[in-house]
Amino acid sequence: MPELYLRMLDRILTPVLLILTFFLLLRGHNLPGGGFIAGLMAAAAFQLQILSRGEEVVRKQVGQYIQPGIGIGLLVAVGAGIAGVLGSTGFFKGIWFDISLGPLGYLEIGTPVIFDFGVFAVVVSVVTSYLLGLNRVAEGVDA
Amino acid sequence: MLLGFLASLFISGILLWWSRPHNKPIIGWLSVLPPGLITVWQVLRIPEIAAGNFYTERWEWMPSLGLDVSFRLDGLAVLFGLIVAGVGAGVALYTHYYLEKKPSQGYFYLALFSFMASMLGLVWADNLLTLFVFWEGTSITSYLLIGFDHEKAQARTGARNALLVTGAGGLAMLVGLVLLGQSAGSYSISQIVAADGLRESAYYSVAVVLIFVGAFTKSAQFPFHFWLPGAMSAPTPASAYLHSATMVKAGIFLLARMHPALSDTPLWFWGLLIFGGITMLIGAFFAIGKYDIKALLAYATVSQLGILTMLLAFGSEYAVLAAVVGVLAHALYKGPLFLVAGIVDHATGTRDMSRLAGLLRAIPLTGLAAVLGIVSMAGLPPTFGFLAKELLLENGWEMIGHGETLAGWLVFGGGAIAGALFVAYSLTLLWEVFLRRKADATDAAHVHHPPSFGFVLAPLVLVLLGTAAPFLLGPLALLIDPAATAISNETIHSHLALWHGFTPVLITSLIAIGSGTLLFLGRAHFRRLLASLPKNLQGDLLFEQGLRGLYSLARRTTRLVQDHTLAGHAAVVLLVAVVPVVAALSYTSISELLPDLTGEVLTGPEMIMALLLVIAAWATVRAKSRMSAIISLGVVGVTVTLFYVFFSAPDLALTQLLIEVLTLVLLVLVFYKLPDDKRPPQGRLRQAGIVFVSFCAGVVGFVLVLFNSSEAMNAGTAISGYFTDNSVPLGHGANIVNVILVDFRAFDTMGEITVLAVAALGGYALLRAPAARLLSPLLNEANTTEAEEMEETDRA
Repeated sequence: MPELYLRMLDRILTPVLLILTFFLLLRGHNLPGGGFIAGLMAAAAFQLQILSRGEEVVRKQVGQYIQPGIGIGLLVAVGAGIAGVLGSTGFFKGIWFDISLGPLGYLEIGTPVIFDFGVFAVVVSVVTSYLLGLNRVAEGVDA
Repeated sequence: MLLGFLASLFISGILLWWSRPHNKPIIGWLSVLPPGLITVWQVLRIPEIAAGNFYTERWEWMPSLGLDVSFRLDGLAVLFGLIVAGVGAGVALYTHYYLEKKPSQGYFYLALFSFMASMLGLVWADNLLTLFVFWEGTSITSYLLIGFDHEKAQARTGARNALLVTGAGGLAMLVGLVLLGQSAGSYSISQIVAADGLRESAYYSVAVVLIFVGAFTKSAQFPFHFWLPGAMSAPTPASAYLHSATMVKAGIFLLARMHPALSDTPLWFWGLLIFGGITMLIGAFFAIGKYDIKALLAYATVSQLGILTMLLAFGSEYAVLAAVVGVLAHALYKGPLFLVAGIVDHATGTRDMSRLAGLLRAIPLTGLAAVLGIVSMAGLPPTFGFLAKELLLENGWEMIGHGETLAGWLVFGGGAIAGALFVAYSLTLLWEVFLRRKADATDAAHVHHPPSFGFVLAPLVLVLLGTAAPFLLGPLALLIDPAATAISNETIHSHLALWHGFTPVLITSLIAIGSGTLLFLGRAHFRRLLASLPKNLQGDLLFEQGLRGLYSLARRTTRLVQDHTLAGHAAVVLLVAVVPVVAALSYTSISELLPDLTGEVLTGPEMIMALLLVIAAWATVRAKSRMSAIISLGVVGVTVTLFYVFFSAPDLALTQLLIEVLTLVLLVLVFYKLPDDKRPPQGRLRQAGIVFVSFCAGVVGFVLVLFNSSEAMNAGTAISGYFTDNSVPLGHGANIVNVILVDFRAFDTMGEITVLAVAALGGYALLRAPAARLLSPLLNEANTTEAEEMEETDRA
């Protein structure tokens, strides 16, 4: 049941939510945010899409990425841990790099941040998979 | 280097999977390269190892637990490493032809190469826990390989049994390894092996028994031997590689590894002698009764594994050499024989010996490989198998000479009987499948699909290596001696030779061959006898019954703790949480735990929020319709979020708010569509029960939060101070919550997201279950994803 006003809202809100997701994910290490919260935020954006366009449309768009998303997220997270072993500091010990961005200054990035990306991928995929499944059940009852 | 090898195997597995190799022969040949290069590299290391320079490698994994990733290439490691990589190279090529034009070939390669990496890691490992991790890796990949044809019920059962048996054994072994590591004070295998006094440790016998369980389950020793014949539903390359040449020898490898540290006690000696001996005899005995070539070879493998286990009971030079030669010889004849069985199956469409005949003439190259392999399996001179058997008998004879009559005669007599049985089933296989004329078999199968050269190449090369080996004993000593030295911990210089003169051992050997031939001639009687044995002598039926018992126990307990209402489920969960807490609290004095509340004032906003919370909760409980209950529950959640904002916990507030929104939307969606609640009102008693449980849970929750802020509870908790102090210098982040999640407590988070992923699988299954489908008949078929299609075929 795609509602007209929801569609309008969705056009404006979804990009905003997704950019906000990105923002929360990146700043998470120093300010409120992080993988868990960003993942939930992205899932909320997908839920908005589902409400306005229906479950099937959204499933066509993102459904195929959900299961790989869970697996890749776990792999990235484990990989961030293993990086510590290869760096001879131990499993899940953080390794940090300073990447010079020229005039923009320095980007400090470390394996914990990469780990957070993995957490994000798992959370957004898992929650979206639940959302799609439950919405399918809900929409099915309607008919 | 070694870790790089393992990674390269894994990556080539993925590349092979990606490249869809099933219709590209060139990729089949390319797949030989990674294991082939590893083999060459190891061969080049042999002179160094023979000189006593071991190649080692070490990374710290979790130093606080003594967990390293460390490898050490000594004689034993390189012997097994060569078998794993060398046979692996052959099997890689063979696989391409065996799974000709099957689209799932790429997946098989992925599982096969992952297995190869695990197995190599296992034999190279120099840390008990590293060894365990790779050990489990082989169990899992073996499960995937056995269950490769997952549409077949037989394959699924075989895979499940193998996983349950080896998995359970692996867990028992882990406990044994930890006991061993703790009593030795180190998890490094080379240090444990060098350490003295392990035998006097209080945990010695428990650790040894547990390690036995691990080794026996993996190497299919009695009474766990039944999983190996069951695993024969795997595609033949996997049977040849895992269930004959490599994985089933992991248990033998472990026993050999631990031999210097743990052997030479009555427990070790009699444990291995008895279980190995029984396995040797029943394996050889049952092999004669089998008509399926693969089943015959499987029982023959069980028997051979029994011999190896039995040999490791001893510490004498002969026994150790016999074990080393046995491992090598077995890989070089049994592996190729399995591959030959696959070719025969491919060429004729059957593996039933009663329908096969005259294959030596029909497919000569394959036949040649088979004949050479079978002669070695029978232990006829002058083959490698003969040498291994001679060493076994020699060991028994020496024991008798040294006055250990009982053990000596057990080995000598058992070895001779097994030798005769080996000859009998080998001759049966040789005669019925390859030599006899077609007219002798009823309904003989025709060769309608002669194997191409690439198909035959791997078994032929392996079997030729095995045939040449006894004539190259001089150079081979470079490989055999260091391996034997690693097992016995005393330097061994073998002087192996095929001809020892007319010794009692040789005469016994000849008598065994003679009686084996007689058994072969009278095989019809023997087979009838074996067919008349009761079926439940085979362990798999007992295992099946045990499993069914476990399932029904699970059903009964589930029915006990979960009645058919949500309230009932919740009540059980809450009570389980409440009772232990109350029990624990009854040991403390409550007054100590109460926080000091003097001077604390409730501010206006706090009061308003608390009031709102209470009202919303009350409204939820009293709500007449589901919708209003959901809405007021949302108010409760948002008010809690407000509390977080008020006490400046923005991360918590954000998370709570998002969860609240998502739950609310979903609940509204689902409940909006549900029909009205038409159930009769609950009985008084039940209602009272629910109120009671809720009250208990509420009070305990409240009291715990209250206690948590008291002096006594916070006295010993310096950890939050540590977090605030080190978040920026160590964690490189100013958001403490996030630094805790992704750095200080990253391990916890890792566990949590893994649980999430597993929960997603469960949710996926639930929401796609038939019950959920009844609710949603409008499933668009065009929308079916690939995963769903797989599920469909699985069900069919």
